[in-house]
Order: sequence, then C-alpha cells, then structure tokens
Amino acid sequence: MPAVVARNERCPLCGEEFDAAGQGCRPSCPLAQGCRVVCCPRCGYSFPQETGLAGKLRGLLDRRRERPGGTP
Amino acid sequence: MTPPPPAGAARSQVDLERKAVVAAPRCLILVGNPNVGKSVLFGALTGKYVTVSNYPGTTVEVTRGSAQLAGRAWHVMDTPGTNNLLPMSEDEQVTRDILLQERDYAVLQVCDAKNLRRGLLLSAQLAEARVPFVLALNMADEAAGRGIRIDVERLARELGVDVVPTVAVQRQGLTLLSEKVAEARPSAFLPRYDPLIEAALAQVEGLLPARGGFGRRALAMMALVGDESLRGLLAASMAPAELERLDGIRRELSARYPESLRFVISRQRLAAVDRLHDAVLSRTGATSAGSGLARRLGAWSTHPVLGVPMLAAVLFAAYEFVGVLGAKTAVDFLENRVFYDRVIPWTQALFGWLLPAGPLHDFLVGPPGAPFRETSGFLVGKYGILSMGLSYGIAIVLPIVTTFFIAFSILEDSGYLPRLAVMVNRVFKWMGLNGKAVLPMVLGLGCDTMATMTARIMETRKERVIVTLLLALGVPCSAQLAVVFAMLAGVSAAAAAWFGASILAVLFLVGWLAARVIPGRGSDFVLELPPLRLPQAGNVAVKTLARIEWYLREALPLFVLGTLLLWGLDRVHALSLLERAAAPVVVGLLDLPPSAASAFILGFLRRDYAAAGLFSHFQPFMQAGTMTREMNIQVTVALVTITLFIPCIANFFMILKERGWRTGAAIAGFILPFSIGTGALVNVLMRRFY
Repeated sequence: MPAVVARNERCPLCGEEFDAAGQGCRPSCPLAQGCRVVCCPRCGYSFPQETGLAGKLRGLLDRRRERPGGTP
Repeated sequence: MTPPPPAGAARSQVDLERKAVVAAPRCLILVGNPNVGKSVLFGALTGKYVTVSNYPGTTVEVTRGSAQLAGRAWHVMDTPGTNNLLPMSEDEQVTRDILLQERDYAVLQVCDAKNLRRGLLLSAQLAEARVPFVLALNMADEAAGRGIRIDVERLARELGVDVVPTVAVQRQGLTLLSEKVAEARPSAFLPRYDPLIEAALAQVEGLLPARGGFGRRALAMMALVGDESLRGLLAASMAPAELERLDGIRRELSARYPESLRFVISRQRLAAVDRLHDAVLSRTGATSAGSGLARRLGAWSTHPVLGVPMLAAVLFAAYEFVGVLGAKTAVDFLENRVFYDRVIPWTQALFGWLLPAGPLHDFLVGPPGAPFRETSGFLVGKYGILSMGLSYGIAIVLPIVTTFFIAFSILEDSGYLPRLAVMVNRVFKWMGLNGKAVLPMVLGLGCDTMATMTARIMETRKERVIVTLLLALGVPCSAQLAVVFAMLAGVSAAAAAWFGASILAVLFLVGWLAARVIPGRGSDFVLELPPLRLPQAGNVAVKTLARIEWYLREALPLFVLGTLLLWGLDRVHALSLLERAAAPVVVGLLDLPPSAASAFILGFLRRDYAAAGLFSHFQPFMQAGTMTREMNIQVTVALVTITLFIPCIANFFMILKERGWRTGAAIAGFILPFSIGTGALVNVLMRRFY
C-alpha cells in the first residue's frame, strides 16, 4: 500500500480540501510502496505529503503559532 | 457467526425506512463544498436512522434520513460535495441532478467559514437556481481562531437568506439553524454578467421548459456553457428546432470570447462574489492594508498582456536562483569541497586503514594512490556507488532541485502557482493544445508519472494515448527541469536560445498534431484563484523539505541502481561494447563524446540522472568559463535529446499500466528515434547557423 497518511490535505493549486486516503500513488508505479505524493481529486495536481521531517517541522511551526504571542 | 438476514428481509427493512423517510412532508437537501462538515451536520440533524444508496445509474452514494426541525418532520438528503452546479465530475453531476429532479425542497448550504469565498461561489449558483436556502457557516470556531471575522448580518442582508454560524461537531448553532430552515427562501443575490452574456441568457431562458423549482436562469447558464450532462434532459423536453436555435446562440456567443464560456462565466461570477466577500469578511491582525495591492497584482498576473512580463520575471528569477545559486555555488561547494576533497579521500583512507592492500580493498575503493576516476572500485571508482551514484544524487542534483523546490514552494505559498498555470494554459493553447488536454500537460511539469494518470479525464482512448505520448515526449518533470535550468546557466545565451527554440518547435509540432486529433475548444482550467500573499518562510521551508524527502526516497535509489548497472557493465567490459555500438548515433549523429552513451543509458532510468551525467562532464568548463563553441553545441544537442528522451522508469510503468504494453512499447518505440533524430537535426543546424 502507498505510504500516504490518511488525513485532510489542501491542494496548493486549486485550494480543494480532500481526504488523502486513496489519493496516493497507484500500485502500477514501481515506487508506490514508499511514495508520499498525493493527487488532488479535483484538479489532478500532485504534491508530496508533509510527513517525516517536514511533518515534524510543520508541527513545530503550528505549535509556535498557537502559543500566545506567536506569529499569527 | 450470525447468519445474514434473508435478502428479502433486509430489503423490506430498507424499504420501510425509506417509506418513513419519504413520508415526511418536506424535503431538506444538504449541499456544500467537499470537506465542510456536511456529513457531521447531517448526522447531528437526523440521528442514526439513515439509508445509504447509490444514486440511480452511478456509483455515487447518497444518504437519506429523517429529522424533526422546528416541530415538523423533514426528509433530509446529504449530497456529494460539490464546488459547482456546472458539473465537472460524477459527484458534482449527482448533486446538480438531485436539485433538478427533486420537488418542493429547501436547501441547507453548508459552508466552511474559513473558506467563505469558495462557499459563496456555490451560494451564487443556488441563488441563480432560485432554490430556497439557508446558509450555515460551519467551523465558525476555527475561522475565529484564525482571525477571520464575518459580518453575518450584512451577509444575510446581501444574500437575502438566513445565515447561521455553526460548529457542527459541538452541535453549536443547530437549534437556530433548525428554526431558520423552515423559513428558507430564494436568494436575491444575482451576479450580473456582461451585456453579451445577459442577452444570450435572456434568449435561452425563453426557449427552456419550466423545471420544477429550479430557476430557468441557472438552466440557461448550463445550456449556454454546453453542459453535455444536461443534453438528454433538454432533448426530452425541447423540440429539435428549439435545440438547434439554442446551439446557434451558444456558438455565436462562444465565438465572441477567446476562452471557453464556462471560464468566462465563472470569472465574472467570481468577480461578483469577490466584492461580496470583501464587504463581509475581515481579518484581525492581518495585513488588510496590503490586500488591495495584492488583489491588483493578482489580477495583473493573469492578464493576457500584463501577465506576460510578470511570468517572464518569475521564470527569470527562478532560472537565476536555480542556475546560479544552485548549479554553480552550491554544486561547486558540495561536489568539489565536500565530496571530492573530503568524503572520497576520507573513504579511501578509512578502507586503507581497515583493510590490507589486496583484492578486497581494490574491489571496494580501487588500488591505493590511484585517482578514483581511473579505477573500477565498487564504492569509490569511475562508476562507484559513492563517487558516482551518491555524488551525482547528493552533490549535483540535490542542490539544484533544492533551489528549484524552494522557488516552487514560494510560487505555491504566494498563490502565484494557480496563476502560472492559467498563463501556461494560455501558452499551451497558443501552441494548438486545447480543452482537457491542457490539464495533464501543465501537471506534467510537476511529475509526469502522476500526470499520465490524469490523462484518464480524456474521453476517448485515442485522446488518452496522444496526451500520454505528449507528456512522455516533451514535458520535463520538475527534477529534470531543474537540471536543465542548471545546464543552460552554463552555456552561452545563444545556445540557451537554441535549446528553447528547439523544444518549443517540437511542442508546437506535437501541439499541432494534438489539435488535429483532439476535438473541442477552450479550457476549463482553474476556476478559483486564491489571493496573492507574501510567502511565509516557515511554509516554504516545510514544503521544500517535504519535496526533498520525496526526491531522496524516489530518485536516490534509482541513481544507485543506475550506477550499479553501469559498474556491472563496466566490470564485464560490456560498457565499452555498448559505447562502441552506440558510437554511430552518439558520436556520428549527435557529435557527442563517446562517454555520453553512459548518460543515455541512465536516461532509461531517469532523465534528470542522465542530464546530471552530462552536467558532470561539462561542469569544469562551465565553472572556469572556458566553454568553446563546440561544447556549447554539444550541451545544447545533448539537452534537447535528453529532454525529449523516453520517460523515466516510473512513468514508463505507469504508461504500461494505463495504456497497455503494446501502446507503451509503441510510445517508447516512437520517442527513442524521434528524440535522437531531433538532436541530430539540431546538431546539423547549429553547426551551420550557430
């Protein structure tokens, strides 16, 4: 199965919010096992999910923003 | 194990529930964009007794239930998420068809308060359809948390319908919403279009039959944009002469605009929605002072004339950033200072210390003291995993794609990317590509493999094959584009122009081919453009990091695999045989050095790896500024050939899966000689005219 994490994603191209489950690389691709690229169901734009190090950095930034006095 | 109930019993249970549902005197239809909390609201209103069934003739599920709202029984339907009543997908068509076919209903539109603009686009269409509705501003708490303030009273006044902020997951606002549903009424918010469209709408409205509670204006809009899914309904209720007249009005109006009518109408509706949106929404602590300038810049960025210099400036900045900072400064540092001056000598020293001189030492890092490019070591050698595979992947391609990904993330976060897509869409249309064919071509600039999958949107097999071919042939993916940028920064401006002109000429040729075999006109590309804003450094960092992680996972293993292949071929002396076999093409036709053959072998795995091989060959001369005329020609010819070369292995597998092995083999069989033939032609022309 693709390594896509099931969660809501927002397409950077058309702004669509969608459930990433089922929107990952297809098994026909030899890289599907580890590929974290998701495909927007509305416009087809593909982009990698923010997981791993990027996910951790996102979490850190979000926590900083949520703290009182953090950057809005 | 509990035996399943008899099929008849199960069916009668469902029938019973459906009868209970249908017996309700009034019908409420939930409509909204995808992921706005519509199903949560449906669950909160109806409780657990619901039926789920496929909408007739489709695989789209529609959920029905019952609810007591303001003391009255209601039959409630939850429809698939939709952005448009001019449907572009089966889900959207089902929602539109439900609104067309049901009778005496009220609509509860659920909108994400964080994305009011998208919701209002749907509100405007419900208003045009004259259906009675109430607007729920769901996730109101999250919107407030983000500093978004919506003037609910003014919005209700402008729309002419009740607007209720809700938090469905906490059941906040549901009591008031239940009361307001009983008072649902058609909205007074009717966007006005330009006089040509208004006149055509008036004519078409006169031709159309009444359709229950669904307004003629909305039906006329669908008929004008040539909504094929409506064709059957119109054919069943209109005389052939009236249908012909409708087609005539549509053709006449369509001829007045360079873009598709769907696009023109959506743009004008969006302008009306923008005015309403700006009037009712404010952001606390946000840079509202700059929003006017941002909106003007946003409008200029897609303007047919003003958008071109902006596009050129953006591309030039990306080219300078990637070509100079990435390909020169960062590559020089990582390749020479880190890999060649430190990592490789240290690795050789480490193995010299760990292993005695002998066959194992020579196998891994070559004989002691010998320059690594003259040995066949497995780790450090001419085709060593470390000195070639990782050196290409980490020291050459990584800094180039990193700078490219930074530039790309800035485009995404600033909101310019959809505008870039609109402009590229226009360029592709000038090239002769049209209609739906444009979308996969634009997406191919990100990843050809995924774009090949989106060729499914084409209606016929012939169209899908052509689009797949065009993608595999002429559209470089982001990683390859980055290396191409880097190499172009090292050649003369004239040579770079030769490359650009050659690729454009091929695209025009294939575009012409596509225009001949793919019918249709206009493009239904981007409908919603987010406002331009200053990119946030944190967002850019996260997006870039996500892409780098993806690149390292996807490309680096293939780089290592390709190096292993070359190393194995070299060990059994097959590489020199291949180079000799390829010499008539590589040296004779393309006038490239014989060693370029190995770059083309790598091209079968990934085109960016092949380009990295060529980059590595010419980089010392580019850095020293000693590129000769001959070298400029060689780089240009090699780049043209590699850009048009067969797709990467992942894309090739996708082509086989999507189009079948015969078509896949035929596409590869066409592209291979075509890319080499084009390279040979450029070589001849450059030697004559460059």
